[in-house]
Amino acid sequence: MILEAIPPTILSVRRIHAAHESVLRSYGADPSKHTSLGLVTCDQDDSTYVALDEATKHAPIDVVFARSFYAGANHASGRLSGEILGVIAGPDPDTVEEGLMALVRCLEHDACFYSADDGATIAVFPHVITSLGYYLSEEAGLQPGDSMAYLVAPPIEATIAFDAAMKAADVRLVRAFTPPTQTNYAAAWLTGILTECQAAAEAYAEAVVEVARRPWDFR
Amino acid sequence: MSTTRKLIEALRERLGQADPLPSPPAIPRIQAPPARVFPTARTRSCYAEQAAAHTAAILGIGHVGTRYATDVVLQFQAELAVAHDAVHTVLPDDWAQSQGLLPLKSRVEDHHQFLLRPDLGRRLDEESLERLRGNAIQDVDIQPILADGLSAVATMGSGIRLLETFSNECRFRGWTVGTPMCAKYARVWLQDEIGETVGARVACILLGERPGLGTGDGLSAYMVYEPRMGKTDSDRNMISNIHARGIVPELAGRQLAMMAGAMLDQKTSGVSLDLSGLTAELGQAASGGYREPQRRVRLVETDR
Repeated sequence: MILEAIPPTILSVRRIHAAHESVLRSYGADPSKHTSLGLVTCDQDDSTYVALDEATKHAPIDVVFARSFYAGANHASGRLSGEILGVIAGPDPDTVEEGLMALVRCLEHDACFYSADDGATIAVFPHVITSLGYYLSEEAGLQPGDSMAYLVAPPIEATIAFDAAMKAADVRLVRAFTPPTQTNYAAAWLTGILTECQAAAEAYAEAVVEVARRPWDFR
Repeated sequence: MSTTRKLIEALRERLGQADPLPSPPAIPRIQAPPARVFPTARTRSCYAEQAAAHTAAILGIGHVGTRYATDVVLQFQAELAVAHDAVHTVLPDDWAQSQGLLPLKSRVEDHHQFLLRPDLGRRLDEESLERLRGNAIQDVDIQPILADGLSAVATMGSGIRLLETFSNECRFRGWTVGTPMCAKYARVWLQDEIGETVGARVACILLGERPGLGTGDGLSAYMVYEPRMGKTDSDRNMISNIHARGIVPELAGRQLAMMAGAMLDQKTSGVSLDLSGLTAELGQAASGGYREPQRRVRLVETDR
């Protein structure tokens, strides 16, 4: 079975109601406007980046920290580490809770990897963000509300699929993450109008499946 | 559902993976059956043995579980093959001439038609009729006819021997015997037309009989007094099972000659012919009583 959703597992979701100033500063928050922190670990980093961005659309919070762990969830440092720690900061615990709820909802119902072959030994993340939130729009240098295709796959698949996506749709490259990323994947952020982003994501996923089926094809 | 999930589901549908066949379940390793031999206790039934002593039919063969024993099955298949081969053998066109016989042919065109159209096998074709009128001795006492019938194998096997024995027996009794002839694609009633054409008092056709299990070489002899078209089976007398394991050709030739003598004496044949005086000589052909069973020949040998 291909292109089946691989649901992310949220390993932990916690709040710090009133974080110490040192902690706030260390994790990039601004003590003058942030009081509470919300923390999440998950076994899919890219899903979580998208979910963090989603959270900024539902609550007045800032994503102050989001980093992938080296080598990914299969080589995590602990049961709860996963492959990402995301930290959101807000003026009060309720706001943070609201942001976390949006984040969890997004992870449970939207953002996820998909299997590109039988047995899901190859995963692809061909995600279309209809409307960017405040976090990723800043990371990408785009405006909140723009559409973006957030495309991730293992190195060889990603390279070929990146090419296919660029050729398949009227999209513009925002940022390319050549391999290895911290989780040893490769990624591309493409932007354009929504339908073009969708076309790009579809072409990307199809190309990954095709490479997975025929890894040897050069003559 | 989210935009991306809808998108990927549509792609999956397009790639034909939305409703794929379920992957075949793993076949569990099948244990080899224990190498055990179940010896069959060979029991004997005196009833079966007695019954089998009276016939060549397949009786008293026992069974292994719900099936026949292997050697019985092989024997049956071999015997059936012999019968099939005999039915499908065709008498070569030049065989009659090579044996010094007058070649005749019925109206049948080929072997397939011969099996399907008995009516055509009972009439001579024009050419044979001309040849018969021109070359055969007319107005004879006995007209023997060799023919292929349903088993050309039998005809080519012991046909000549039977024909000569019978002819010699007749000449020995002082009767005139017709030209020896051989008819291809012939049925029994062909003797009516031949006998009528040559003006014979008694016609006797010697032909291969319908093959049975293991018996593809059997000959039958049919005899009719005053052969005319329109004679029926009730007008004929016959001797069957003429082969090495039944009635040997030499004996059959003598019995036929005795039967012909009875016909010439009583001027009739068939059911009205009284053979009661010849019971000792003719055996079953006269009485219809008990007949010694023929001996079954083993075609297949198996380790028992």
